[in-house]
Amino acid sequence: MTGDFLEVNNLSKRFGGLHAIRDVSFSVNRQEVVGLIGPNGAGKTTLVRLILGIIKANSGQVIFKGQNLTGKKTWTIVGQGIAGTFQNARPFAHLPIIANVMVPCLGPRASRRGEWVKTVEARAMDALEFVGIADLAKEPASRLSQGDLKRLEVARAIACEPELLILDEPFGGLNPTETSLMAKSIRRLHKGGRFGRLHSEGPAMIIIEHKLSELMKIVDRVIVLNFGETLTMGTPEEVVNDPKVIQAYIGKEVV
Amino acid sequence: MMQFIAYLTRKLSRDFHGEIISLPTRTILVTAFLALLLLPLFNSNTYILRILTLTCIFSIYAASWDLLGGFAGQISFGHALFFGVAAYTSALLNLRLGLPVLVTIPIGALAAVLSGLVLGLPGLRLKGPYFSLASLAFPIIMMGIVFTFPQLTGGELGISGITRLAATRVREYYLSLMMMLTLVLVMWKIVTSKTGLIFHAIREDEITVRASGINTSLYKMLAFIISGLFAGIAGGMYAHFMRVVGPSTLELIMSLQIIVFVIFGGIATIYGPVVGVFILYPLMEYLRVVPEYRMLIFGLLVVLVLRVMPEGISTFVQDLLEGECPRCKERNAFTRSACRICGTDLDSHTHLNFLKRGA
Repeated sequence: MTGDFLEVNNLSKRFGGLHAIRDVSFSVNRQEVVGLIGPNGAGKTTLVRLILGIIKANSGQVIFKGQNLTGKKTWTIVGQGIAGTFQNARPFAHLPIIANVMVPCLGPRASRRGEWVKTVEARAMDALEFVGIADLAKEPASRLSQGDLKRLEVARAIACEPELLILDEPFGGLNPTETSLMAKSIRRLHKGGRFGRLHSEGPAMIIIEHKLSELMKIVDRVIVLNFGETLTMGTPEEVVNDPKVIQAYIGKEVV
Repeated sequence: MMQFIAYLTRKLSRDFHGEIISLPTRTILVTAFLALLLLPLFNSNTYILRILTLTCIFSIYAASWDLLGGFAGQISFGHALFFGVAAYTSALLNLRLGLPVLVTIPIGALAAVLSGLVLGLPGLRLKGPYFSLASLAFPIIMMGIVFTFPQLTGGELGISGITRLAATRVREYYLSLMMMLTLVLVMWKIVTSKTGLIFHAIREDEITVRASGINTSLYKMLAFIISGLFAGIAGGMYAHFMRVVGPSTLELIMSLQIIVFVIFGGIATIYGPVVGVFILYPLMEYLRVVPEYRMLIFGLLVVLVLRVMPEGISTFVQDLLEGECPRCKERNAFTRSACRICGTDLDSHTHLNFLKRGA
């Protein structure tokens, strides 16, 4: 495994007596889309929050493009090119939707890039257009439905111009049509290119998801977490047929 | 050169027609300001001018609280720290070193920012209500320092014999009116800029702003500094206007009264607090005709008004006189039948909005 892009080494996090994450190590390539699955309470969201620096790890390292990001502030990490969405969308409820996306566009990384598009509004609008809620741009964010909130989260994350995009349950609360649309958007984003005035280099991705059938169509590789430890890693086919994974999800068969 | 002047005149008149005359609330504000400007011509009662000068000074102070509390969401119960420190610094510089007003007020404001930073650097690490409670202690700490050095600060008696803000009462009035206009416009410009957007966002959800790659500590500090600077200017002006500075500038009532003004006028608007101060401060002075019941009437009035208009009086009047276009979200006067920007039909014409709401 060439682990020169994102490398996570022996990351551990305890909440009191609970080992939320125990010695997790994995790496992600520049071109990869990695799925992160596991039963509820396996520590997927905690892992993402550790990578993003929202909570501090007890031990272990996160190395991104050769730089040690362990213990750095969240804004530094985002400035290096990692952006993530939250599992429960946390919009700025009283602000218009476009303002929600303008805030990441004002960050140091985002304003350094894409200098040929001067106005923040134009870039925010392109991010909204990409996820398909541009027509709601001036509505307050509190008026959005659950599905649109997920899209807003994705728009906010891609407005940070990330090289590594972490999506925490992007399909959560979406109906099947919306799910397939979102999956399409994610694939398109990964391929990279220009969306209006928004330029994407095709970020590497880590996707946390419970809707495995949709997830498996997108990802190149899957990491399975259980009780804070990596259960197994491999291609989607390998993982789906792994008896350990089936046991973790469904439980052991009582003979 | 002539062309430039012509261009400027055209642009100003266009802005005046498009941005001020078309919106009733802005027309009201401009009219009120013109009335204040012309007032000394018709009425030279120095008592009224004195009250209005103090109102202007408190307007700056209230707007500065709104910038920190309403926009950046750092609700401070100790804003009198800035006010008091600036007042004491200007007074001391003026009295001991004989510096003129033009020098003491800016230095006083800088001293206020500095003291705010010394106490605020640890304070801003606290979140939400914890910051508010910690900020409650700031002016009290400062008051302790004032009482510790009575030779320098005059202790409970304070400092008196400071230079006047300007030579005559009318000049003082015009000076503070112009200062208020300028400083409030500057603050309004700041909060409607991109920095202001980030302040808004920090108030809504700090974690999301961090995850958007923005250094929230920096921006919170910036809000603290800007707010402290303007509150400090107000404090310095107060010192030179009252010509006596005592521990009353650091008292709890100084911090809390201003929050009442802001919430009454409309929080997170900048112009709301100014409206609030201009209604409530003269009212408080007027109520001195019934000194025993003054605070009771004042309190009841504030509670009753806020019962009807929970978002503050300026927001209430704005909703009453202006409707929001459903399509482009621009505000329009209630008399219009079509949006002035995008031409969408508005159904609210000829009706005042509150009639439609049935409130």
